[in-house]
Amino acid sequence: MNLRIAWRNIWRNKKRSLITISSVILAVVLATFTRSFQEGSYELMIENAIGKFSGYVQVHQKDYWEDKTLDNGIDVSDSLLHQIVSIPNIEGVNIRIESFSLASNRNNTKGTLVMGIEPEKEDSLIDLSKKIIKGKYFGNLDQGILIGSKLAQYLELDVGDSLVLMGQGHWGNTAVGVFPVKGIVKMPAPNIDRQIVFMPLKTAQEYFSYPNGATSLVIKFKDADLTQEICNMLNSSLDTTQYKAMSWQKMSPEMLQQIQSDRISGVMMLNILYMIIAFGIFGTVLMMTEERKREFAMMIAIGMQKTKLIIITLYEALIMNALGIIIGIALSIPLVVYYHYYPIEMSGEMAKSIEKFGMEPVLPTIISFKIVINQALTVLIITIVAAAYPLWSILKLNVIRALRR
Amino acid sequence: MSIIQIENLKKTYRETEVEVHAVNGIDLSFESGEFAAIVGPSGSGKTTLLNMIGGLDSPTEGKIIINNTNIGNLNASQIIDFRLWNIGFVFQSYNLIPVLTAKENVEFIMHLQGRKKQEREQRTKDLLTSVGLGDRLNSRPSQLSGGQQQRVAVARALASKPKFVLADEPTANLDSKSTENLLDIMEKLNRDENITFIFSTHDARVVKKARRVITIEDGKVVSDEVK
Repeated sequence: MNLRIAWRNIWRNKKRSLITISSVILAVVLATFTRSFQEGSYELMIENAIGKFSGYVQVHQKDYWEDKTLDNGIDVSDSLLHQIVSIPNIEGVNIRIESFSLASNRNNTKGTLVMGIEPEKEDSLIDLSKKIIKGKYFGNLDQGILIGSKLAQYLELDVGDSLVLMGQGHWGNTAVGVFPVKGIVKMPAPNIDRQIVFMPLKTAQEYFSYPNGATSLVIKFKDADLTQEICNMLNSSLDTTQYKAMSWQKMSPEMLQQIQSDRISGVMMLNILYMIIAFGIFGTVLMMTEERKREFAMMIAIGMQKTKLIIITLYEALIMNALGIIIGIALSIPLVVYYHYYPIEMSGEMAKSIEKFGMEPVLPTIISFKIVINQALTVLIITIVAAAYPLWSILKLNVIRALRR
Repeated sequence: MSIIQIENLKKTYRETEVEVHAVNGIDLSFESGEFAAIVGPSGSGKTTLLNMIGGLDSPTEGKIIINNTNIGNLNASQIIDFRLWNIGFVFQSYNLIPVLTAKENVEFIMHLQGRKKQEREQRTKDLLTSVGLGDRLNSRPSQLSGGQQQRVAVARALASKPKFVLADEPTANLDSKSTENLLDIMEKLNRDENITFIFSTHDARVVKKARRVITIEDGKVVSDEVK
């Protein structure tokens, strides 16, 4: 009976109820959509720069991060690798050796990042073979190299051409080599695409005169949420006088700060939106309560406890908002899914400024059940809070005065 | 045996610097089965008296004992429950729940009492039939005339099986035909089922039907006449 009364009361003033429900729908859609875009862009940023490149956790020689030279590299041994992979959740280790070199072709010269990688293993981590836009992927024993598309463009290189590299090797050796371009890769992060040269690990170790040497060991595991846990386990398991495990948050603190500050501004915008919704709902419930004070007084007079009356009024607010939330979620999901698979592509100056930060100029959404539920729950809590004053006024209702209205 | 015992009842309102004695020392008692009218000019205190008997307002002084319960000793929640089980109300402006049908309005009070569905439905049907609305069970208040709405209100007041019914100016908004009809119904219910009715009224037709007429002036009983 209480629910029936609440339901019919909602449709007593259809226009007002529909406006309230619509405002809740709009709030849920906007909040979900905004948060999904926000978190989607962070995810893409992390995925491009971390997950699909540096990995979420790396192990280095303890001084490497402060002084990134080959002299602070690791002599990779089977026992070290075995010690790492024996830690739960770690699926494997990718050995990398990287250093800067000068690349030249004809009259063009450019500073590049030469990265020696294990071709097969890296492909499973950063999908490098899928990023080839011209030429072929390389094997473990290949002498050929892969270069970023923007670097290739700058140096006017094509597949089959040779690239001259010159830099510093291990213990002061000079690193010099001429390498055939086997393929051109398009890296999602433009700053990487402009400077990267990939080489098979053995070839790079030879080039840097550092057999069995590495600058970083990229730790592979499935769940990015385990980053900190795995990092801690590595540091407690490895000899910390020699090695140091670092999470991506430590390796890229500027990215973490950027995400955190951006997230705060996003949450502030959302809070403004929530406040607007709260006032809308408050106004509706207040009007519904004020208009019906006489009716409420009559119900109390004939024997209805005020708490039951509050329950009916709360039902009304909850039903309206539940309807709004359900419809809002139903509308949000396809929108979020669509923009996840077909992200908004930015152009012009905005795209250029985003590229400067090493990110793809696209704006995808993240498909996260947590975001949808969080927004729905927040709106629900707002509903209850906004209904508090009108409900309190029922508790304080003077029956005689209200019956005279 | 008295079902309502009123002793030295007083109600004083303070309006700015002036004290208004709306009810000023009333002693009354009502027996089961009475059909009584409280009359008096506007501002004489009859509605205040009725509100206090109904537990809607609390006295400044004095006691109201209903069925051996001093209602002044009940807290806010207990008094609501006491009304639910002991007192039926008929208001001047009908005060039905607009979103419920006639049937649901009557059933509502039994729902509050926690009565079983079968009992609720049967009693609702019987009551609405007894007030001549057996064919309007599913009509909403907006689809009924004033007289019909007031008859639904009477059926609702009786639905909880109260000890007595308080009716505050029940005919004030009705035309003469509807008034006659309503009074006949209430008189019949009083006579056949021994239901106690206490009215506050200005209406001469109600006074004519009442078997006891209590006249109040300036918050005091000036006459108490049994016909």
